[in-house]
Amino acid sequence: MTPANNFIEIDGLTKNYRETGRPVTIFDNLSLSVKRGELLVLLGRSGSGKSTLLNLLGGIDRPDSGRIVIDGIELTSLSEHRRTLFRRHHIGFVFQSYQLIPTLTVMDNLLLPLELIQPTGKAGRNKAAELLNNLDLSDRLDTYPDRLSGGEQQRVAIARALIHDPLLVLADEPTGNLDLQTGQQVMSLLDKLVRQSGKTLILATHSREVMGIADRILTIRDHSLIETDD
Amino acid sequence: MNTILNRAGRNFLLRHPWQLALALLGITLGVAVVIAIDLALDSALQSFKQVEQTVSGKATHRIAGGEGGLDEALYRKLRVEHGIRNLAPVLQTYLPIQQNPKIKLRVIGIDPFAENAFRSGWQSGQDGAQAAIRLVAEANTAIIGRQTAEALGLSIGDELIVATGTGDRRLRIVDLIAPASAVAAEALSNIVIADISTVQEITGWFGRLSHIDVIIPETDPHKVQARLADILPGDVSLVSIATQFESMQQMTEAFSINLSAMGLLSLLVGMFLIYNTMTFLVLQRRGLIGNLRLIGVTRRQISRMILTEALILAAIGTMLGIGLGLLLGQVMLQPVTATVDTLYFRVDRLSLSVSPLQIGKAVLLGIGATLLAVIPPLREANRFSPKHALTRSQLESGSRRLSRSILLLGILLIAAGFAIGFLSETSIKLGLASVFLLLFGFALLTPATTLAVMSCVETLSGRLFGILGKLPPRMVGAEISRTGVAIAALMIAVAATIGMNLMIDSFRVTVAQWLNTTLQADLYVSIAGDKTARDKAVKDRQLKAIIAELAEVDQVSTVLHTQVVADDMPVKVSAFELTEASKNGFVFKQAFDTGLWRAFEEQETVIVTEPYAYHNKVKAGDTIALQTAKGLQDFKILGIYYDYSGDRGRLAMSRTQYLRYWPDLGYTGIGVYGVAGSDLNVLESRLRDRLPQALDLKSSRAIFDASMQVFNETFLITETLRWLAAGIAFVGVFGSLMALQFERTRQLGILRAIGMTPGQLTGLICAETGLMGLTAGLIAIPVGLLVAYVLIYIVYLRSFGWTMTFHLNPTMLIQGLLLAVFAALLAGILPAYRMARTRPAEALRAE
Repeated sequence: MTPANNFIEIDGLTKNYRETGRPVTIFDNLSLSVKRGELLVLLGRSGSGKSTLLNLLGGIDRPDSGRIVIDGIELTSLSEHRRTLFRRHHIGFVFQSYQLIPTLTVMDNLLLPLELIQPTGKAGRNKAAELLNNLDLSDRLDTYPDRLSGGEQQRVAIARALIHDPLLVLADEPTGNLDLQTGQQVMSLLDKLVRQSGKTLILATHSREVMGIADRILTIRDHSLIETDD
Repeated sequence: MNTILNRAGRNFLLRHPWQLALALLGITLGVAVVIAIDLALDSALQSFKQVEQTVSGKATHRIAGGEGGLDEALYRKLRVEHGIRNLAPVLQTYLPIQQNPKIKLRVIGIDPFAENAFRSGWQSGQDGAQAAIRLVAEANTAIIGRQTAEALGLSIGDELIVATGTGDRRLRIVDLIAPASAVAAEALSNIVIADISTVQEITGWFGRLSHIDVIIPETDPHKVQARLADILPGDVSLVSIATQFESMQQMTEAFSINLSAMGLLSLLVGMFLIYNTMTFLVLQRRGLIGNLRLIGVTRRQISRMILTEALILAAIGTMLGIGLGLLLGQVMLQPVTATVDTLYFRVDRLSLSVSPLQIGKAVLLGIGATLLAVIPPLREANRFSPKHALTRSQLESGSRRLSRSILLLGILLIAAGFAIGFLSETSIKLGLASVFLLLFGFALLTPATTLAVMSCVETLSGRLFGILGKLPPRMVGAEISRTGVAIAALMIAVAATIGMNLMIDSFRVTVAQWLNTTLQADLYVSIAGDKTARDKAVKDRQLKAIIAELAEVDQVSTVLHTQVVADDMPVKVSAFELTEASKNGFVFKQAFDTGLWRAFEEQETVIVTEPYAYHNKVKAGDTIALQTAKGLQDFKILGIYYDYSGDRGRLAMSRTQYLRYWPDLGYTGIGVYGVAGSDLNVLESRLRDRLPQALDLKSSRAIFDASMQVFNETFLITETLRWLAAGIAFVGVFGSLMALQFERTRQLGILRAIGMTPGQLTGLICAETGLMGLTAGLIAIPVGLLVAYVLIYIVYLRSFGWTMTFHLNPTMLIQGLLLAVFAALLAGILPAYRMARTRPAEALRAE
């Protein structure tokens, strides 16, 4: 367990990039604690580092210094392989541009994270079908992603992020490519599913519309996180 | 506007250096192989031509006999009795020199006083007339090329030691040849000139000439020719020098065409590579092109932008290709010349000559091939909607529809390939065209076949490995516009490899079987040396008697390989003294009656080899008119027999018949048959004790091995070229995979994000590339079999007149399949490694 029973503990996180030879600081000594089941909204301008923070939390990027501990496991000390396995079991990603595998059908896209853990057979298919049914996609199981609308694709992406019961769902601008109404529908779905299953959700956005569903709102400004009350 | 447009395109290319480099590599390699073959072939022929032209000088015709040469009395008769001027007697031979035994110099004996009108290229340095006088007046003197003298460290006054059949002879150098032009200097570099009597003395060919050079004035040439024809004996002919060159060129035509076809195969594979890269460059920019169309750029401007790029790429690639081709040509010159030397005629000099025409051809080919390959992607670019760029899947579904259309086109091309192959009678070019049509036709079937194969694999692998098993075949099938071309290029190269391997193997087996049948004797004595040497026939007969007398020897057979003249052209002839056993060494194409061998011995008859019959369009029962000292004599063809010793063919007649019409030139070889049950090793050592050291004694096994060695060396160049084509295909597959993985960076990043390990990702990419290789290999097997069939029964039969037995060696099919899979896997390693090392966050950011 992390100190003070926090689900996520970030401590002294620093991340720099090199851009045309010059170092660019993204985070400087950033710290954060997140409780289990919390829904956190990350705000910030484009390029402020929202996606980078999600990538660091998902273990698909590494900080220059600092620690990230998730559910008692220090992610920053794990090898690339161990981080991949951790991600496979415990993290669900939702991206702005859906990022479904175009060569797989909707059903196969959902089954892939399950099969990476272990072959699932019929049980997996049933679980995927149920989830898709909940998302009003029961008639699109054998459809390829490019035949779906943006909203439908994002719903499939949400289903894919949740199918393997991750501890943490990371959503990067999930409504960024959707119109207002579809975006609201997608957000309410995400909220409902995450809350129902008691998962922790960290959602990066610059849309203030989604703030209503947040337990906490954090803004990245000047390489640091600032908690906002409203 | 255009400048900005071009800049938009150029910036894209510069940001994708891999693709740019691969496109250039495709053009460069394709052009390089074609120009290298062209240069090597042309240089070998040009070298021969230049040397002969320089040596012949201003001679327009040549009076020549068979291999025994001419009696020098003929020269005297023509000059003194008939008052014919402008004649120059020549006696030439090749002799090794003691200073460097590896070098054989062409020793030419001339009459220096008859020469003035002939050889302008021979003007000797200090004082031509004085040197000429010294050649005649002083015994054992010679002049040599300045280059050769420098290479051997010799100067005027030094002695050149030549090795002859009767021991070493010393020739004192009295002058150095200093030809007027660099070309002549190069051509005359390995030549020694001496007085004709000196050469007769050192070779022992007293009273003989190789030929007489003639200048027939352009004014009324027919009158002079008619007069000479009246005077010349029947077995001596007057041949125009130009005709001789032409016939030399014709001799090598089939070889040249076949080799050029191999070059074009490389270019064809290279074109796939160019097409693939250009398509990628266009597809990658569908967004850019869509946006440009949106802001008002016309289709014509887009076309111009892409064509300009293609032209620049073609120009750079062609220039690099020419440079590489020159280097490659230099490397290939040696094996090409060696093959010409083995199969056709002696090439004295090895140097690469490049003509503007060849460079022009390469430029046309490089630019033409690139422009041809860019047409489909250009059409694709013009399909992009100005409202929105097509999505990848739209493009791929377009490609799937297209694959059905090209399937039909492929079937048509295959049908045309078969039709041309079987209906084109004797044309080698059309035979090869049918091979190309078949290859291209099957290449067009590849995308549709790939989709079908992937569908089957997906069902199977899906059942076995679930979604992860489905991914590789789906990835191949989903991007068929990219994978299909790479698979087709690999398929062509592998099919050509399988086809060539099967053909060469069938040929090898046929030749081995033929050698086993032909080599009936236990031991063979090979009698080298010039046939005109004095007393050769007498000495050879004595040698035969010595061998026959040995207690261990049961029988001996003999052969004389020489040349006679038919239709004023030399024809190879073998005069046999056959034993009953050696008659079994002949395998005839048709059944023959029992009286054949009797007629062969007793009547004016010949048997001819299969290539001779094919090239001269003769059959059993026809007659051949041969020029003899007694005039033209008809010889009836009794049968056609299999022979793979040369591709121009030869006649065989009994020694009895030969001696009725031509002078006795001794033997070329003696076959020794041991007494039944005798120890061949004992026989061999007894023979070695009795025979002069200079004679070459070989067992039939050793001859078999040496012949197979020559066979393998002859095919060395073909095999090299085949590997080059396979190499280009490999670059194609590598380029495609790099491009594919590049396009998929983000998709692969997602797989990493949802928990796929680098190892699994590598496995996924390798499975995909392995599947591509497997598909190419599976299609290549039937295509390779077809190619082998067409090569054996159409192309090689037409080129060389040889019938081969199709020998299906399953190992070669498996090798082809493995080659395809390994090439694809190897090509996939770097992209897989790159992708596995790319951090998922970085991959997800990729555009």
